[in-house]
Amino acid sequence: MISYDECVSEIQTLLAQSHAGGSIVPPESDLIDELGLASLDVMELIEALEDRFDVAFPINELGDVRTIADLARRIQNLT
Amino acid sequence: MSLLQKLDAARDFQDQLGQLGVNAIGATIDVTGSATEGRIEGKRVILAGTNNYLGLTFDPACIEAAAQAVRTHGTGTTGSRLANGTYAGHAALERELSAFLGTRSAIAFTTGYVANVGAISTLAGPGDVIMLDADSHASIYEGAKLSGAEIYRFRHNDPADLDKRLRRLGDRCARTLVIVESLYSMLGDVAPLDQFCEVVKRHGAFLLLDDAHSFGIMGETGRGLAETLGIEDEIDFVTGTFSKSLGSVGGFFASRKHDVAPLRSQIRAYMFTASSTPSVIASTRAALKRVAQGQALRSQLWKNCERVHEGLTSLGFKLGAAPSPVIASLMDSPEQAAAAWQALLDAGVYVNLVVPPGAPKNLSLLRCSLSAAHTDEQVEQIIEGYAAVAQRLFDQPRAAATAYA
Repeated sequence: MISYDECVSEIQTLLAQSHAGGSIVPPESDLIDELGLASLDVMELIEALEDRFDVAFPINELGDVRTIADLARRIQNLT
Repeated sequence: MSLLQKLDAARDFQDQLGQLGVNAIGATIDVTGSATEGRIEGKRVILAGTNNYLGLTFDPACIEAAAQAVRTHGTGTTGSRLANGTYAGHAALERELSAFLGTRSAIAFTTGYVANVGAISTLAGPGDVIMLDADSHASIYEGAKLSGAEIYRFRHNDPADLDKRLRRLGDRCARTLVIVESLYSMLGDVAPLDQFCEVVKRHGAFLLLDDAHSFGIMGETGRGLAETLGIEDEIDFVTGTFSKSLGSVGGFFASRKHDVAPLRSQIRAYMFTASSTPSVIASTRAALKRVAQGQALRSQLWKNCERVHEGLTSLGFKLGAAPSPVIASLMDSPEQAAAAWQALLDAGVYVNLVVPPGAPKNLSLLRCSLSAAHTDEQVEQIIEGYAAVAQRLFDQPRAAATAYA
């Protein structure tokens, strides 16, 4: 199982490239309300994380994910 | 947040569209007597955004069949298929469709959207898995969501990505329904269906093909992309629509490998909605006969597609895919797309304006759909319309474009 911190770090890196203008945002950041991701962006982020950690993340569970920390915990549980 | 704040958000979205300065969403088309011409805001236009691929909406045999049916059987069935809404015509259409497709059975639905929602939400359920192409139509997403199955996406038209994701599922592949479309409606790109079949088979999963856009226009007899590739027997389930090449409204669910008929008593979208009106069923049956003998129509359609694709490419438009009845021109921004759409309309050509989130990858585009009913003269007028757009939008003439989205 990979660590929570590793998951957070990977998500932060991906978001820095796509939505945060290169900066690392805190784990409590809300993906949609604060970082401005559209639902399609979130799904593409999930796809990248699935490939990075070789896991399968059902999109039905996206409704429970609001922050980077939420997503990191979900991904961690799948590894 | 109150319940009604959602209305404000919807209004904001409408306002944003309004700020583009065009009335693309609410454009009212007055169609009189032709599959390819109409009036918008009083102006005569060539219709090049209607999905009327074979032009059968004004086929004399289809019109006569519908007119006779409405006189004989009335304007509506006033009931669902399982109650009082199955007439002899509904059953006949299903038999004829099944014979045409070579399937064990076929179920007709009131719309193509309902066919997808009903079929998908019934085939898969809690504990099952649905693996869908990322660019799937909204009806596929809705059906998947309603099913209660776990849903995963794979990258659009990417068999290697599907392969990777099925591998991650392991033994669960036996409970997995993979869903792809044949021809994608926004960019006009065609799925590598033979490769998808190979991947799905190797993992022991099941494949559902939504053939809404290639049905009637591909294959020697119009049975779609799978007929072209000679792989119809490899596909577990197929859904489709009557509202594109068949020129009416409705949808179907069928299979060569499995008998889907027993699912009639399980599919809620079949059981609890009104059945198609007799006139719709009658014109659809007449159109199906035209499709089966429609090689000349298909030849004309593809000739038109090649010509417009070539014309737009040489004008410098970056297009979404290789020639197909959907030719999407990629614009730099929603504002540019809106201006181009209006310029085309001013030039007498109606196409579809697509702005985010309507198309994949947040693209803004002009979506032209061609018809076998477009005359050579109309095809040239469509290209001339795009030439007027190019002149208005591009600072300088562009070299012929080659890359696809």
